[in-house]
Order: sequence, then C-alpha cells, then structure tokens
Amino acid sequence: MKTRTKKTLPTARNGPVFSVPNAVLVDRSSGEGYARVTLAGIHGAPAARPGQFLMIRRLGSAALPRAFSVLRAESDRVELFIKLDGLLRELLGAVPLGTRFELRGPYGVPYEDRIDPNGRYVLVGGGSGAAPLLFLHERRPDLVEDVVLGFRHEGAQWLLRGYELVVESADGRRAHDRLADVWRQGLGIIACGPEPMLRAITSRYGDQPRVYVSLEARLGCGIGSCLGCSIPTPAGTRRICKDGPLFAASELPWLR
Amino acid sequence: MTPGRCPFSVASPIVLASGPAGFGTELAERTDLSAIGALTTKTVTPQPREGNPQPRLVDCPCGMINSIGLENPGFDVFVERCLPDVLSLPTRHIISVAAERPEELARMVGALSAIEGIDAIEINLSCPNVDAVVIGSDRALVGRFTEAARGATERPLLIKLPGDAGHVVASAEAALDAGADGLTLINSIRGLRIDHRVGRPMLHRETGGLSGPAILPIALARVFEARKAFPDALIVGTGGVTDLESAIEMMAAGADLVGVGYGMMANPQLPTQLARRLEAWLAERRLDSVKEVIGVAHRGGFDVP
Repeated sequence: MKTRTKKTLPTARNGPVFSVPNAVLVDRSSGEGYARVTLAGIHGAPAARPGQFLMIRRLGSAALPRAFSVLRAESDRVELFIKLDGLLRELLGAVPLGTRFELRGPYGVPYEDRIDPNGRYVLVGGGSGAAPLLFLHERRPDLVEDVVLGFRHEGAQWLLRGYELVVESADGRRAHDRLADVWRQGLGIIACGPEPMLRAITSRYGDQPRVYVSLEARLGCGIGSCLGCSIPTPAGTRRICKDGPLFAASELPWLR
Repeated sequence: MTPGRCPFSVASPIVLASGPAGFGTELAERTDLSAIGALTTKTVTPQPREGNPQPRLVDCPCGMINSIGLENPGFDVFVERCLPDVLSLPTRHIISVAAERPEELARMVGALSAIEGIDAIEINLSCPNVDAVVIGSDRALVGRFTEAARGATERPLLIKLPGDAGHVVASAEAALDAGADGLTLINSIRGLRIDHRVGRPMLHRETGGLSGPAILPIALARVFEARKAFPDALIVGTGGVTDLESAIEMMAAGADLVGVGYGMMANPQLPTQLARRLEAWLAERRLDSVKEVIGVAHRGGFDVP
C-alpha cells in the first residue's frame, strides 16, 4: 500500500466537543475482569463516533484523566466497556453508582474518517479493544463482514451477548487464529487490542490493502498538544490521540 | 495588569508553562487564551528532535512522569511554519528554546529577537529528558549560556532552572549576573517508576520528569529561596499548581507569574478557569493589586481581620 503523506492524513477537528463537569455513573454490569458502565448527564453524547475516546477522572480529582473508547453513545449517555484492572477498577469498577466524574471529549479521528469507505472489514478485538469495534458494528453494519473478539477467559461472554467470543483458556485459540479462518483476499481488517495481537495481525496481513490497527498509549492531554503519545511513522511522528488512534498497517513498520 | 516585576502587562498572572500546551494551537480551539497571561511554547531546539520512544508517560501518586524528550520540528521549521500561528494567539508569547552549545543558543535567540510579537524568550537549561548534562545545575555553564543569549537580544530573558539538581540559588545568581531578567522555577524533577510485576522501569527511557501536585512543595521552596535572595528578579513559579489555592501559594512565595503545566494537561480548561478564579478572589479579598499577594510570605503574610 502506498504510504500516506502528511497532507492526506485527517486529524481530529474541533468538532462537537463536550466538557462535562459532573457525569454520573448510572449503571454497571461486571463480568470476570470486565465491565460495561454507563455514564449519564452528558449533553451532546451522540456526537461521539466509533473509534473516538473520552478522558475521564473522578470529580474533584487532580489526577490525570484516563482515556476510554466509547462502546455506545445515545441521548445523554455514554456506555463504556472496560477492563477491570488496577487503576481502572479503582476509577470505575469499585465505586458506587451515583459517583460523579469529569469527562471531556470525544477526541480522536473516528474510524470511518480513516478507513477506505469502499471496503468490507473483519473487525478484530482483543479484550477491551472490543469497545470501538462493537460501536462501529452498531453504527455501520454495512462495512462489516465479520466480528472476531478474543478474550483470555470466558467471563466477558455475558457482557457481550450476541457475539461468540474466542476464548483462549477454553481451547488455546486466540483472536488472530480465528481471523485466519474468516479472512479472505479482498477483505479489510480493523483491529484493536493488546500489542501482541496487533503485532501478529500486522505481521501476517500488513502488506494487504485496508488493514488498520487502533493504538493505545497512556495519553496526557488527549487533544494533541502534549506529545505524550507520539509514535514514529515513515512520514514523521504522529500523535495517537489526535492523528489516530487508527493507523494503516503500512504506517507502522515497527509493529511487525 | 502588570504583576510584580513582569516587564509587560498581562491579562492574568496565570501563564501556560512550556511543554504540555505545545505551540498552543490545539488549546486555542478549546479555551479562551485571552484570559491567561502568556503562552510559553514547547521548547524548540536547533535541530529537529523525534523525542523518546513509547512509553513516554507514567502515572504517579499525585502526578506523573514524562519522558517526551524535547520532540520538536527544529528551530528553522518552527520559525517558518509554527511561529506565525503562535504569534496570532490572543495572549503574550514566551518562546522556549534549548541548545547544547552557547553559539547555537545565541543563533536562535538572535533570530527570535528580530521577530515582532515575541514578548519574552525562555532558555530551558533544565530538561531532565535528554542525554546532555543538565546545564542548569552548573553555575559556570548557566553563566556562559545566559551570556550568549543576552548578547543576542534585548528582549526579556528568562532562564528555566531545575528544581533538584545543583544549587538553585547559585545557578540563579549566575543567570542574573549574566544579564537574565528573570527565572522560571522549576522544571520537572527526575523520577522513576518500576513495574513491580516484571521488575523493569515503566518508561522506555527509564527515568523521566516528575510533575504535578507531587512537586508543588519543591517548587514553592525554590521560588521562596530565590525570591529571598533576589528581590528584584522576575520569577515565574511553575510546578504542581492545579487550583486557586496552590496558585496563591506560588505567588505568596514570590512568583510574579504562575506557570501551569501538568494541570493543563489534565484539564485544558484549567488555566483559563484559574485566571478567572484568581481575579474573583482578588476582588473578593479587596486586594487593590496582585502585587499585594506576590511575595507576601516574605512580609509576614496578609492582614487577616
């Protein structure tokens, strides 16, 4: 695939951006290691599009907020699908309903603005990387050929009813093993998940057209100014938060 | 207003510290920069720098450690492509530069000096994230770099010093003796985190610069010591200010201007909010001028009724 030049790269525009001083945790279903959480009181929530993320911290905290991909956005609510690990468990998993949060976003380039709109895609998610992909599946089923979601354990299955998960602890198979079964020439891939999964996918399919991976890093500002999330590409450094999070596999030769 | 020894008028003593605000353009889309005193740009170096590999940020109790590594497009590209946008932002403009040799510093400062609209030049002698020696910890080097910059400009010149390396008052004295107008105190403090599960440093570059509320007391001490030693120097107090109370503390310790870095990274609206809260607080306290707050900790404090 031709390397994109800087001029053709969309970056996140100053679109509808909300800054909500007191979003409320109104719902949470927890599975083994994962949870779906709903925050309400977010005016303009539906402006969030698949692939975009929010920066969230406890109300009144001086901590650096954490970035969360949106699973669903409607009315005044945003739903997230999160891994209950360390700080995230503390932030959203172990607090009572009614807890208030500062929330800002949506940031990042929506997946739809980065991918070839004429392709059909296999969506490959690992763990909480499922969130933006399921959001894309909901909003743009016409783009989706198949959805492959890998998890280490089966605990998340009931949180993601309607999808048949690939569970490593059950039969040793991982998301990219299942991808090999369903992918065929001509299909694109959009992947979001842990780095070893992304590496396996770009190593095998990176030379195909329309292969995209969504990257993660500890973000600082979320708006593209602090350069905490810069990564190298053949065309120069790019910011995961503002130029990404989705990148074409050809832009990430180091991820092979 | 013209707080303390600030050589120009500002909308507020709250300014954006060099670093997380980048060149200000992203922030300008989201907050009213005309409410804050000044933007200090991310540090620009003579040659382009890619910065350090990921991971560059790691959380800490009360703050974070960064190892950005002075990522910037290099001075010439900055002047041609970025500076015009910086200068169009509706606030005062402080341009931050760093170099490994005094001659390179003089070249950049001289070139900036010829450009209209630059209100001050800050010399970063204290980045903890590059291999070069932390110049700001060595008073002889501080003197040489400051002299080189001073020789190249008549614009207000700030020297940014480390809070944890060397003797800050000695370095500050060297900078002021060499003609600096003021000091920016402090840069982030070198710190380390290790992932206990694997026993390895969490940042690719191992150590980085600690910022956030964790360093507020250190910044306050350096500003307090410097103000005591140099009553006439302009001081920009930077380090861990995230709310009105800490901004007042910083001014009371002796800062004429208060830099916000980490706080802006966590909440891009914070500098504007702080500027407004400070203005309201001054009015509420019936303080005639911000000068009554600056350095008040050296004068026995406020008259509390």
